[in-house]
Amino acid sequence: MQAGPSKIDDHDLLRAVSRGDESALAEIYDRYRLILFGLILRILNDRHEAEDCLQEVFLQVWRRAADFDESRGRAFTWLVTIARTRALDRLRMWRSRTRLITPNEEPGVSEAANPRDDMLVSEQGEVVRRALAALPEEQRRALLLAYFEGLTQSEIADRLGDPLGTVKTRIRLGLIKLRELLGEGARSLY
Amino acid sequence: MEHRDYQELVTGYALDALDPSEERALSEHLKLCSECRAELAQMRETAASLAHAAPAAVPGDHVRQQLLQSIRSESPPAQARPAVVPIRQSSGAWTTVMRLAAAVAFVALLLGVIILWRRDAAARKELARLSNQVGAQQRELQTEHDKLARQGEALRLLTSPEAKTMELAGTNAVQSAHASFVYDQRSGQGILMIEGLPPTPADKAYEVWFIPKGQSPIPGPTFTVSDGQALVSHTLPSEARSPAIVAVTLEPKGGSEAPTGPIYLSSPAS
Repeated sequence: MQAGPSKIDDHDLLRAVSRGDESALAEIYDRYRLILFGLILRILNDRHEAEDCLQEVFLQVWRRAADFDESRGRAFTWLVTIARTRALDRLRMWRSRTRLITPNEEPGVSEAANPRDDMLVSEQGEVVRRALAALPEEQRRALLLAYFEGLTQSEIADRLGDPLGTVKTRIRLGLIKLRELLGEGARSLY
Repeated sequence: MEHRDYQELVTGYALDALDPSEERALSEHLKLCSECRAELAQMRETAASLAHAAPAAVPGDHVRQQLLQSIRSESPPAQARPAVVPIRQSSGAWTTVMRLAAAVAFVALLLGVIILWRRDAAARKELARLSNQVGAQQRELQTEHDKLARQGEALRLLTSPEAKTMELAGTNAVQSAHASFVYDQRSGQGILMIEGLPPTPADKAYEVWFIPKGQSPIPGPTFTVSDGQALVSHTLPSEARSPAIVAVTLEPKGGSEAPTGPIYLSSPAS
């Protein structure tokens, strides 16, 4: 996310968090709660679990902010990776029981406190969704299964009944194509 | 494998979608190959953007409140402890004292294990002598004896160069809880040292789970807690010799085949 003139850079915020600055953590939370909660909710499909998980994610950010290394990637990537990993851990924990399904609860996009942040989230979402829509159906499906269900390539092959080699190729081509498309379409946003 | 083969694994790696053997192979290669590391960094950025494919959603306000409350009651991040403890927050200072006390108690437990282990031989003789005495005491002594043997075993494991350690943190329900899991991948011998868990309700038991990467949880031993601490030793089944995650849930007494209760302790995903 681009730092506006009045905004403190994500990296500086994370550095402040690592020094124990509570308000910096609150600011990071306000910036990223919509996208991270959307991600976690999509993985867990249960609002209560997802809220619990979101809190756990930010506790980890609080404790481990010093581990963030900006030379290895953006703050956004670091945060999303923590959130996805935590959510998938929970999913694996519960998967053996039943998939948590609450059909009446649509994870809708509701009102938000800061319209600017919301706009940015939805703009970026739009860019990514457009790029995904431009991929061949099989590539898109394999990528989403890996990302949101946490399946390995072998598990995806089993699930779809496709040869493993085919799945590997689809994932590889899909992610490379996505990188190209996002490179063209999203540079201005990041 | 050649460089080209490794290159083809990078996308799967960025999505954590490789099988364990492929993942290990690429991890090794990445240590040596800066080209693949750069490619991986880019692929990870791209993979992270997939988060945008999920519709944004608004969490309840209580999440923010609870979060800020939790971090206030916790000491600051480990890397940057301030030199001065804020004394004006009496509750904060008290929490610090309690945490210190818990840490001291845990060290005392470990010391106890070491001392008991050193005295193991002597204690066995002593126990043997005593066990000849009153029959009613006998069973109790046997328990002590077993405990000593277990603790001796624990110490041997703790000091083994083959041993690996995983740290388990308390989940939101019990943030003060903590555990260390030490295990030997070859023999499968493992020991879980737990502190800060609430006493087990009468009809329940805590159950340990070993979760290999990408697989369902494998049930481990059950145990109960009365004074917050527990020491559980267990031989890992061969399919759980390199667990990606170790966790503890609260289950009905007797344990479950698959987790059904709330998670109390969990190791972070690697």
